Amino acid sequence: MADKVLFEFLHTEMVAELWAPHPDPGPGGQKRSLSILESIGFRVGQALGERLPQETLGFREELDVLKFLCKDLWVAVFHKQMDSLRTNHQGTYVLQDNSFPLLVPMASGLQYVEEAPKFLAFTCGLLCGTLSTLGFQSLVTTSVTSLPACKFQVVIRKP
Amino acid sequence: MSGSFYFVIVGQQDNLVFEMEFLPAGKAESKNGYRHLNQFIAHAALDLVDENMLENCSNNMYLKTVDKFNEWFVSAFVTAGHMRFLMLHDIRREDEIKNFFTDVYDLYIKFAMNPFYEPNSPIRSNAFERKVQCLGKKHLLS
Repeated sequence: MADKVLFEFLHTEMVAELWAPHPDPGPGGQKRSLSILESIGFRVGQALGERLPQETLGFREELDVLKFLCKDLWVAVFHKQMDSLRTNHQGTYVLQDNSFPLLVPMASGLQYVEEAPKFLAFTCGLLCGTLSTLGFQSLVTTSVTSLPACKFQVVIRKP
Repeated sequence: MSGSFYFVIVGQQDNLVFEMEFLPAGKAESKNGYRHLNQFIAHAALDLVDENMLENCSNNMYLKTVDKFNEWFVSAFVTAGHMRFLMLHDIRREDEIKNFFTDVYDLYIKFAMNPFYEPNSPIRSNAFERKVQCLGKKHLLS
């Protein structure tokens, strides 16, 4: 099925388009492009958060919601589950994906580590948006040490 | 025998997103003095809906009848995004209301996919209103 690739191509083009006019925009421009990608991801996440949990409403607590993100959301968007989920039980969660599909075609190892954040901004927004529909305000950041593995750190903000 | 129904969608901050009345043919619009009462009853039922959600660890979205006020019953349906669909009705019609909720839920999801719609904001769309009216006629007033 060509579904997986379609989204990957679309995503690659989105990033390329935002960076095309000014290949090296400097800190201000870069931040703007990153936040554009994040807001796109946020809106998509909001819609998915409404649409995906069709019958399963068993979200009693945060941990259930995070498990939903790691399993159902990741499977729906990337056709694989998140590799590991760690928490400090105080609102901070680290989601680790050892072969993130959007980074796999790029490199394997330390090459292009500086370029990786732009390809992860959309996904950060996606996680943030889904959490917001399900009722949690959060802050999502990423860190990449070696492609294609990446970590998403989710901090749930207490109201 | 057919009764009157008042349907409302409430957002995450207890804000009104959509409301619609279904009255059987022949009954004129409810007297102006009592229309605000419907909103009041629905709002008061929200607490019970939340309580129901917290204690009832079921996976069901449909919560059946949650509250009763004078002659009005309140049934509720909660979506994953914590949007609440409330129905005020004066006769018991559980199956029809459940089917109505399911259909409106499908409709709502499709509507929420629209990138121009801000989640939690009031729904102002003629197409949506017409469809909900059709669903209401089909399930509730037949």
